[in-house]
Amino acid sequence: MKKRVTGILLSIMLVMAILVGCSAKPETSTDTDATTGNETIGADIEVSKESTENIQVEGDYSGTDITVFIFAQEHEKAVYQSLINEFMEKTGAKVTLEVTTADEYGAKLLAYKTANDMPDIFYVGPEAVASNVNDGYLLPLDDYISEKAINDFWPAISTAYRYDGKTIGEGPIYCLPKDLSTFAFAYNKDIFDAAGLEYPDPANPYTWEEFLEVCKELTKDTDGDGEIDQWGTANALQWSLDAFIYTNGGHFLNEDYTKVVIDGQKEFVDAFQYFADLTCKYGVTPSVEQDTALGGYQRWLDGQIGFFACGTWDVGAFMDDNTFPYEWGLCGWPVGSTGVSMTRNGSVGFAVSADTKNPDASTALVALLSTDLEGQRVLSGETTGASLQIPNIMSYAKGDFVDRIEDGTIPYGDNVEVIFNYIEGTDKYQGIFVETTYTYNADWWTEFLSGGYEYVLTGEMTAADYCAQVQPAMQDALDNANELKAAAASE
Amino acid sequence: MNLNNKAKKTKYKMSPIAKKEERIAWLFIAAPIIGFLLFMAYPIVYAFIASLTKWTGTRSMLDTFCGFDNYVRLFSDAKFWKTLRTTTIYLIGIPIGMILGIVLAMGMNRKIPGVRVLRTMYYVPVISSLVAVSILWAWVYNYDYGLLNMIIKFLTGKHGPNWLGDETLIKVSMIIFMVWRGLGNSIILYLAGLQNIPRSYYEAALVDGANGWQKFRNITLPLLSPVTFYILITSLIGGFQVFVEVQVMTLNGGIGYSAATIVYYMYQKAFEGFQLGYASSIAVILAIIIFIITIVNFTFQDKWVKTMD
Repeated sequence: MKKRVTGILLSIMLVMAILVGCSAKPETSTDTDATTGNETIGADIEVSKESTENIQVEGDYSGTDITVFIFAQEHEKAVYQSLINEFMEKTGAKVTLEVTTADEYGAKLLAYKTANDMPDIFYVGPEAVASNVNDGYLLPLDDYISEKAINDFWPAISTAYRYDGKTIGEGPIYCLPKDLSTFAFAYNKDIFDAAGLEYPDPANPYTWEEFLEVCKELTKDTDGDGEIDQWGTANALQWSLDAFIYTNGGHFLNEDYTKVVIDGQKEFVDAFQYFADLTCKYGVTPSVEQDTALGGYQRWLDGQIGFFACGTWDVGAFMDDNTFPYEWGLCGWPVGSTGVSMTRNGSVGFAVSADTKNPDASTALVALLSTDLEGQRVLSGETTGASLQIPNIMSYAKGDFVDRIEDGTIPYGDNVEVIFNYIEGTDKYQGIFVETTYTYNADWWTEFLSGGYEYVLTGEMTAADYCAQVQPAMQDALDNANELKAAAASE
Repeated sequence: MNLNNKAKKTKYKMSPIAKKEERIAWLFIAAPIIGFLLFMAYPIVYAFIASLTKWTGTRSMLDTFCGFDNYVRLFSDAKFWKTLRTTTIYLIGIPIGMILGIVLAMGMNRKIPGVRVLRTMYYVPVISSLVAVSILWAWVYNYDYGLLNMIIKFLTGKHGPNWLGDETLIKVSMIIFMVWRGLGNSIILYLAGLQNIPRSYYEAALVDGANGWQKFRNITLPLLSPVTFYILITSLIGGFQVFVEVQVMTLNGGIGYSAATIVYYMYQKAFEGFQLGYASSIAVILAIIIFIITIVNFTFQDKWVKTMD
């Protein structure tokens, strides 16, 4: 009897222990990265044969073998693969497209470098042009690409990839842009309608005070269960803090990027505190706990958020009814003491390896991916119906691209001019490359992110105290980055 | 002396078949030796040399030679010590896993209905993708939608804690996950160990009037000690190399870097900060720590590891 009871108890224990691991996935509408909430959802894009058959590629590259190594989401990959297929068909070249995730790209490229086996074509961001040129990895492209094509890029990108050995922005061009992106602000029109509020005016971005008032109006319990389930905004600090810091005249580093200067810097500390207060004092964003449960991006897609960041790469997904079944428009980030709405611009460029055995074929392919008008029509959504980026070609962007948005050929949120404002800069808008662009690595920024900033968002620590606490570690990391930069330059 | 000289002079004359066999034998021996030299010794030496440089992964490593600068910096690096401490805290899971492993293995060593199914189910986490089960557990721990907090809410009516958003709880959560993940392995090994113990030992004890606890204490536990020793060594080595769980289940090493392990820190330095020289110095220190612990374990095994001989 005793043995039987022991046996039954052990059986129960065994089964209970197993059950812990047999949990079902929670009910969310889409697959989500469990930690960040930043998922790789995108509109499914079908690239028809007709949409790429007009692309113009000249040259016979039969017998050449080219490897392209990039990071891309599935929908981007589909577009690039279709362009590459057309390139192979028209030139006879054999092209292998190797795609990884943005997170893994740096490590894999480093592996290629250490193995001394570089792909023919790969991505390089503006921040890495100087070090890659110093290390001899990049082929200057001026002899291969027409000046006319280069002159029709947005000014910000035509300078970002030039380097003369000393100064960024001067000398030969080393990359052709994959894109120039900007991180604009978007609002959910349906939520505004339900709250009876007027839409934001893109000509006059909100002040911080106005923004807070609107967010308060949008934050509510919509189903009456006593818990807030809709918020004015959701702040993912690592992406959106800049927009508050820079508009308030703040900055992380001094002018020559040698000192971290956040401790005691009023503009920075005030902006960071305002950013945190949105969460811990006013409750117009999901709390830190709620944010770890489900990230802001997912909540935005689920229609719980009034304002959220919108990268140019997000537009295709936001216009996809299966992903985001709401009406939306673009507006400016709220403005701080400078009176100018600011955000981060970004870019990544196609570089050709200095070691490539096929420079002509490689540069021809890069030109197709970056500057070919038909290729840009595909990528910007004119021929696919889903916009992945703003066209690299300025004349096309301001002409046909805008016309196609207006006539509905390219589905886009309201107020696309907000994007152009950030890219070109106006008296009320300015997009900039963030400071990590100009330092050898981003370790100092990683120190800021890993120092426990969450305690500022929960209200357990002030922004001023956090800045004072984390600055020494950031400075150490920056000093080390500058040492590495100096060592790399002297090799 | 004379005898030795005589012995030297006496040579075996090998037959052609024996010579051929000897050559083949050398081939068999060469395979693991070459493998070790190529995939273990060479990377270790390479990493040590890299640790003496400020190499960033680009072309010329030796041009950035800096002596022991990286090691000096390492010992005053607060994050290095923090991640080393966290890694050590995670090792608490090893004895917990071993105790649970023995208990569950003893349970499965009985004739319980469905025991084969249970054995299989317990082993599933071991052969599952670590990334996949890490994602699964991140959802189990989810603050709003997680299974754990749903159970807590059901039982107490109150919202459960933020398992992955608190500096202490995140460590507890990681330990629970690691114990769960490693349990299947311990169970299988202990089960094999249990089935290896001759029944006659227990029968003799029974004749002497030993009770269940005495049999466990004086027969089972000592005779499982070789298995325990093996699990301890492999778990310690694995415990110092925890990476995937942290990478998948936390954002940037958890709040205030509280869940980050030493290998996670090394990865960040190498592949996000491109400081391969510095990361190599972390790797070398980690290798030394593991080496010392393994040596200590082997040195003291005589004191507690019993065999049936």
